[in-house]
Order: sequence, then C-alpha cells, then structure tokens
Amino acid sequence: MKIVAKAFLRYLLKRRSLSILQLLGIACGVAAVIGMGLSAQSALSSFSKAVEFLRGSSTHLIERPAGPIDEGLLAKLVQDPSVDFLAPVIDRRVRLKDSDAVRVLGIDPFLDRNIRPEIYRAYFAERRRGVKEDLFSFFTDERSVLIDSNLAAQLKLQPGSRFETSQGAFNVADTFTNPSGEPLILVDILNAQKIFDLKGSIDRIDLIINDDAAFRSRWEHGFRIESKRQRQETLAALLYAFKLNLQALSLLALFVGTFLIYNTAMFAVVSRRRDAGVLRSLGAQRHEVVAAFLAEILLFGVLGGALGAVFGHILSRFLTEIVGSTISTLYFFLKPSPQPWSLLTLAAGIALGCIASLLGAAAPLIELILIEPVKAIRGRVAYKGGTKKAGKFALTGIVVLCTAAVFLVFSFYHVYVGYAGTFIFLLGVSLFTGLTVMFVAPALRWLFSRAGGVQGKLAVANIRKNMGRTAVAIAAFMVALSMSIGLGSMIESFRYSLIWWMNSQLKGELYVSTKGDIDVPEDFYEELKGMPGIGGVDAYRNVQVTYRGIPTYITAINASILQRFTQFGWVNGGNENWEPVKQGSVIISESFSRRFNVKKGDAVTIEGTEGTVQFPVTAIFYDYTTEHGLIMMDRSTFIRHFKDRTINSLGVFVDPGYPDREKVIAEVKRRAQGRNLPVATRSELHSTILSVFDNTFAVTRSMRVLAIIVAFFGIAGALMTLFVERRREFGIYRALGFSVRQIAGMTLFEGIGMGLVSFLMSTGVGTALALILIKVINLRSFNWTIFYHFTFDPYLIAAITAIAASIGASIYPIWKVYRTYPQIQIREE
Amino acid sequence: MFFLGMQPVIRVTDLWKYYGDDEQGEPALRGTSLEVSAGDIVALFGKSGSGKTTLLNLLAGLDRPTRGRIEIEGQDLEALGERGRTEFRRSRLGFVFQFFNLLPTLTAFENVFLSLELAGRPDPAAARAALASVGLAGKENRYPHELSGGEQQRVAIARALVKKPSIILADEPTGNLDTHTGTHILDLLVDQCRQTQTTLIMVSHAMITCQYARRILQMEDGVVMEDRSCEAPGP
Repeated sequence: MKIVAKAFLRYLLKRRSLSILQLLGIACGVAAVIGMGLSAQSALSSFSKAVEFLRGSSTHLIERPAGPIDEGLLAKLVQDPSVDFLAPVIDRRVRLKDSDAVRVLGIDPFLDRNIRPEIYRAYFAERRRGVKEDLFSFFTDERSVLIDSNLAAQLKLQPGSRFETSQGAFNVADTFTNPSGEPLILVDILNAQKIFDLKGSIDRIDLIINDDAAFRSRWEHGFRIESKRQRQETLAALLYAFKLNLQALSLLALFVGTFLIYNTAMFAVVSRRRDAGVLRSLGAQRHEVVAAFLAEILLFGVLGGALGAVFGHILSRFLTEIVGSTISTLYFFLKPSPQPWSLLTLAAGIALGCIASLLGAAAPLIELILIEPVKAIRGRVAYKGGTKKAGKFALTGIVVLCTAAVFLVFSFYHVYVGYAGTFIFLLGVSLFTGLTVMFVAPALRWLFSRAGGVQGKLAVANIRKNMGRTAVAIAAFMVALSMSIGLGSMIESFRYSLIWWMNSQLKGELYVSTKGDIDVPEDFYEELKGMPGIGGVDAYRNVQVTYRGIPTYITAINASILQRFTQFGWVNGGNENWEPVKQGSVIISESFSRRFNVKKGDAVTIEGTEGTVQFPVTAIFYDYTTEHGLIMMDRSTFIRHFKDRTINSLGVFVDPGYPDREKVIAEVKRRAQGRNLPVATRSELHSTILSVFDNTFAVTRSMRVLAIIVAFFGIAGALMTLFVERRREFGIYRALGFSVRQIAGMTLFEGIGMGLVSFLMSTGVGTALALILIKVINLRSFNWTIFYHFTFDPYLIAAITAIAASIGASIYPIWKVYRTYPQIQIREE
Repeated sequence: MFFLGMQPVIRVTDLWKYYGDDEQGEPALRGTSLEVSAGDIVALFGKSGSGKTTLLNLLAGLDRPTRGRIEIEGQDLEALGERGRTEFRRSRLGFVFQFFNLLPTLTAFENVFLSLELAGRPDPAAARAALASVGLAGKENRYPHELSGGEQQRVAIARALVKKPSIILADEPTGNLDTHTGTHILDLLVDQCRQTQTTLIMVSHAMITCQYARRILQMEDGVVMEDRSCEAPGP
C-alpha cells in the first residue's frame, strides 16, 4: 500500500494551504497546553528552589505566633540537647527609592555558616584578601550590607557604593551570588536590630535539631515550631488555589485545543471520503483505507505536536513571567526561571498532538468504516435529514448537560469535580450546535439575503447543508467565545465585588504604609491619634498563623474605629457585630468560615504567646484580601494574647465635623513622609488594589487570547475545507452567471454566518459559564462569594472577536477564489 | 439471452433495492433477475433513474441489496461478507466509472499500478504495458489533471484491465466524452475484453454501444429485460 500512502501524502502537499492551516491548528492547540503546563511547572519548581536556598540546611525554625522574639531565647536554645546548630534571623523588607521592596536578612555570619554554608563560604571564608577591610566594615559599620549581584547590577552598585532605602542609606560592602532569584540584602544581625529598631529582639531562629519530638515537647507552648517539610507544605498550601487556577487554565487550553485538533482531524477524513470510496471500489480493504488515514492523521499529529511543543515552549517563557509576577504580588516573592527546552517537552507535544488527532478522527473514521463504498464514492453530499440528526445530537446534549449538572452539584467533594462538570457542560452545549443552526438559519437567510442578495442566501444554505463540516467549527468557536465571555464576566463581577468591598471596608481618608513591607512605629500611631481633626486611627496588623495545621491569618484592628467609620459587608447582622469584638470575641472572613467550616457562635482555638486561646466567633464578613481566610480581632485582644505591638499600616479617619479636612490630610501626609512612611489616599489605595487585581488576571487574559487564536484556526480550517471541497461547485456557480466577486461574497457570508451563530450561542453559554465559574469554581477554589454583575464589555469583545475572526478566516479562501476563478472551472481533477 | 453450454458468471435472482432506512417509497430495483455468461459483452440501456447504476453497484458489491441474491462465479455475494466482497473487487472485478474516479494525487502509472498492488501482483512492467495498450505510452507520469477526459478514461480502463479480472463493469464509460473519443474508448474496452475473454457489462445511453455488445439489455422501472431491437433508449 505504498502507493496509497504516497497518494495521501501528495494530497497534503497539493492542498498546502489547508495542510498548513491544519498543522497550525494542531500546533496552537498543543502550544496552549504545553505553554500553560510549563509555566505552572516553572513556578512550582522555582518556588521549591527559593525555599531551599533561604532556609539552607536548617531542619526547623522557631518563632512567636506573632511578632518578634526575645533574643534571650538563643542562650536557652544553645543548651537544648536536641539543638545541633542555630542561627538567629531578622527577616524584613526595605523599600528602595522609586523601586520595589527588597528582602533584608539580618544574620550572624558565624552562627549562620552551619545553616547557610553557601553564603558563608562565598563571602566570609574565601574572600579575596584585598577586600578584607570591607568585610570588617560589615560588622563595624551599622549601614554596611552585602547585596546580591543581580540587584547590584540592576541598581548599578559596586562595593563601596551607597544607596538610599526607606530605612536610610546603606553602604555596599560587597556583592554575592543569590540563586533564589529574589533580590536580597544581607546585614549583620546586630546592625539589623538597630536599623529596624528591634533592640534585644529577633524575628526567628533557624535550627538544625536532632530530635523533633523531644524539642517540640519542650518548646511548643508559646512558640511556633515549623519543620522544613511543614514550611514547604505551608507555602504550597498558600499556592494551592493559585495552582488549581493554573491547572484549570491548562485544562481549558487542552479542551479548546482538543476541540480544534478534533476539527482538523475530522476535516482530514471527511474531505477525503471520495478517495476512500474509489480505493474501496478498487478493492482496498476497510482497514487499509483506515490505516492510510491514520498514517496521515498521525503525521499531522506528530508534526503539529512537535511544532506545538516549540510554540508552547516559547509561550511558556512569556507566561512564566506573568505567573511569577502574579505569585509575587499575591503570595511571596518568586522569580521562576522558564523551563529549559527538553526532549520531554517535544515528546509531550507529539503525544498530545497524536492523541487529540486520533480522538478527533475516531468518529469520522468509524463512519467511514461503516459506510458502503458506493456512498463514500459520492464524496460530499448534502447534510440529509439535518433536523432529525440535529435533534438526536440535541437529545444527547440534554443527557450530557444532566451529567454536567450532577457533577456541578457534587463539586463540594472536590473542585476537580466542578472542573469536570464545567467541561462536560461545554461539551453538552456544543451538541446543540446543529439544532441552533437549523433554528437560526431562516432569520440568518432573511438577514443575509437582504445584505448580500442571492450569495448571502446561498451562504446560509451552504452552512446548513454542510453541517458535517460547519457544526464542529461553529462549536469550537462558540466554546472559545463562551470562554471569553465567561472569564470576562467572572473577572468583571469579581472586580465589581471588590469595589463594593473596598467601598465598605476601606473608608479611611489616608492609609499609611500599606505596602506591607514597612512597619509603622507605635509612637507615630499615638502621635496621629492625638492630632487635632483626627476622628480615629485604625492600627492594622496582619500575621500568618496556622489553624488546624493549615496556614491562615490573624488581623488586628481597632474595632471601635471601624465600627464608627466603616460599614463591613456582613454575611449576617450589621455593625452591632463589633460590640463583642471590643470585648475579646473575633469575627471571621467568609473564606475562613467556608474553609474550616466554622460558623457564627463557634470558637476558634489559636496558639498564643502563653498557650492556646479560644476566641468566640461573633460574625462572618465578606472579604477578598486572602482566600486562606482571616480571623479579625481588636488590637487590644491581639496584644493581650500575642504580645505583638507591631503595626503594619494605619487607616486614618478625619473627624467628619472638623472644618478643615484638607489641612488635616496634608498634615498627616507631611508627618508620615517625615518618617519615610509611604502614604496613600483612599482612592490611591483603591486603585493600587484594583491594579493588583488586574495583574492577577494577566494569565487568565492570556488564555482568553490564546483560546480565540485557537478558535480562529478552527473556523479558518472549516472555511478552507469547504472551499477546497466545492471548487467544482464554484465553477458551476460561475457557469450560472455568478461573478467572482459574488463567489467571494458568498465565502465571506459563510464565514460571518458561522461567526454569528457561534456568537449567538456563546452569549447564553458564556453567561452560564460565568455563573458556573462564580457560583461553583471560585467558591470551591477561593471560598469567597463573588456577586454576579452584568457588564456589556465581555459580550461586545466577543462580538467583535467573532466578526473579526470570521472575516479574517475568510480572507484566504476569498483570495484563493479571486486567484483560482478568473475563468469557469467545472472539470474534474 | 442465455448462451447454452456456457456457465453463467453472474446470476441475479429477484433483486430489490430501496434507498433509505426502510422499504418506503419507490424501489430502485424491483425484483429483477439476470444471468450473464463468462466472456459475454453486455450493453445495458435504460432511462435515467431506471436502476442501471444501482444494479452495477450491487454487482460490484459496492452497495448491498434490500432483498434478492447475486451470485458471481457461483458464489453468493452477500455470503462472502465485506471482506470477501472486497477481495472479489480486488482480484476478479474491474470497474470503469463515468467520471473516471482516478486518484488525483497519483500519476497515470501509479493509478494503474495501485490496482496491481491491491491485487497482490505489484508488477510495474504490467502497469506500463497496460497503459501502452490503451495508447498512453509516454504519459505514465502525468497526473489526472494533466490529461484530457478521453485519456483519463483510458487510464481508468487500463486500471480495470491490468489485473486481468473476470468481469468488468463500466458505468457509462463514454458518458463524459465526445462521440469520437467515446467510440475510441469503446473500441479499446471491448477489444481488450474480447482478447482476454473478460465479461463486460456496460451501462450506456449511447446507441453506438449496440454495435459492440453481443447482448443488449433494457432496464425499465427497476427490472432488466432482453432487448433485440437496439433502438434508441431514452435520454
């Protein structure tokens, strides 16, 4: 059967344009999956590397549940038989002038050498002899620091340089190599205590211990002891929802990609029915014809998959940066390095291309196996019994949708069940494509015949009569547009909910030090409280704790101030909920309540400085600051149980009755700037939060664009296949008196018609998808309620995309029409 | 007419064919019967829609009858199963179509050679000889679109004959050609079949076909009848 294989391969070369479109279609589908998968992998592996570097070879750390720890503890720990090595650490951040925050580690170089030997070896043991005096200054000069070489290069700093920070000027003693990727400054711990005003205190102690159980039994009360594994688990838990989100986007890419590859593979088979019929009439066995098709499909799978792997690898470099930036904004600093090119990526691309191609070709190949040769030899035939077939598909669609509903209802078991339900839902609605085409065809014919005369009318008939080809392309495009509308509506609703939340909770006139990296001195807080015209100052403190072994947050606020000046979004009750908070109760965020199944009236037990404390839960409130949940308590309660007076930021409320509000605001700004504390007005803070929010969805937006590109190739492939199949028919149209322009017009109307049907379906499906994302997926992933808010934009974007993509996809076939049909061409090939 | 002493190579008994899923509507064949001897050259005339092509497709095993029996060389075509019918087409049957049905991506030589390859006798010399015998020597490497209609039909005839089948079914082999070329094609086809004692059934509208056939059949409303008159059939 060499000749058959040759015939098939030559067909690919002969139909170069179609073959290229099909290859690009598969490549884009595979690229979407590989790109997303690789960037998620990069982020997670870089995260492990960063943790490894900063924790060095320490096995545990010990710290207070909240706030700094007395350095006197070091002397006690040295005598503990379970402790082999220890190293005190001050872990803070400074803000560079006109730049981002940078982590500052205050370490004792000599104690640290057993924990982080790389740093010690590189910068304290093997120093070049000529710079010894610089090294000496590291201990003697309070402002002397070691700066990581990347940051030094970025800031154009060299040993001996001086640079400004929010904690004053620093002198560069030397640079060091930092494999974690996070910009880092090292300071001697004694100097760090002076810089950060932590006399006699440190943030934590890194330990190498030999007996975990024994050590815990002696130190667990009043301290938080965390093993390296626990630390990794904690950070992984912080990333859990984000990771889920990335996985969901990868799956979504896979779904659209498979749809497109299915589309492509199906075209490869249906457009060759006649050749298959001829072969059968000559005596080729079914399996031989199928084998020839499979060879062709696999060739596409291999080439498209390989090309997709290359595209995906390139795409992953772009996505990795976005993912890293999102994680850094939301969770902790992470600068993931893109995954290097590997044969495994190539293999994954090829496997994906082949599997999806085989899946896509399965149905038409089975049809080809079952069909009598005489029917196959007729080649392209009108879609007979369309209504009946479309009805059957729609009935199957109803069954699939019911299955999807069951999955969505049971999504409380795991969010993956919800994801499965979402994909089944998309599959189910796709099966309604035929019926929708039948249903809207009369209206479309009316519209197109008025807009384009007879060619418009014929275009609609062609869409309807070639549903074997057009329906899958319409469905693929519809899914992509629905994703665009669904994700867009979800993001807009989320944005709307966030704005509502900010307007109810963040009502201060000014916010001091909101970046989370510079603490506010307590005396400044006291100073502001006593300022004339100030109605109240809310001292905000946020600490990460573990509750039932899972990371969550405690937030300390001034309950009476918030009661007076804000109107929280309460799940139940109103501002009277603050009364018990003033007395020592706590309120919890909705995400905390859902995550830990804690209700109003329950109590939460947390490890305080002096042992475990039970806090009664008085109310639940809507919150979007963290999906990990937070427990909010009055500052006095927090200090009582955690002995931590640190203030992360201040919310300043001007007395509503004070005559000169502007003057008060200006004065607060002046005083804060005098202490190097960043200040933001309410609107500035709101826009910063919204900008963080928008950055967070950069990956999602990229996937929306990718889905559209993938779908574009789908619709372009469909139009091109129709064009190739109907070359002779076009000749007949010419013979009947059609101009080339009219034939081109008909092709354009077909493209627009398919785009319009896809868009019409996507308005309903996209809205339903948005509701599923909001009510099921987000709720399960992030444990917070997003309020659905209708906005026109996602629909407008989808409409423009649909029309633009349909016209774009029609351009090449139209060009071919003009190029191929100057004369009548009816003859057979 | 059944020639005494000759074994029928095709025997059709009470053959019915309905299109569609059920036996509703007008049948394409309504209980027709027929016997054709080995080496016979038969012309089958009939109006459009009378069931000629349907009968040919059923004889080739390309389609399946609703009812009735087809025996080829004594074997029930239905009982052969799909595999057996394919094997029959591959080795014992040649088919010539009105619209040639050459594979567009294969050259003239490759189209003919494919037939031999399928029959398990991949002999390039035989393929070249077959093309030469239909007057296409020197045009072996041309693709179908580089050949005229008559030349394409010659390739189709060479493709059908090269494997030396016992039966050739030709569905309006001249229907797509001008009279001169059509005559040429019929000369060629019939001559080759006579030389090789191949049974030939030609469906045709062209009266000239009468001159080539030893037996004329007329198809009317799905039933085959003997016709000695050879008068002009319908359009």
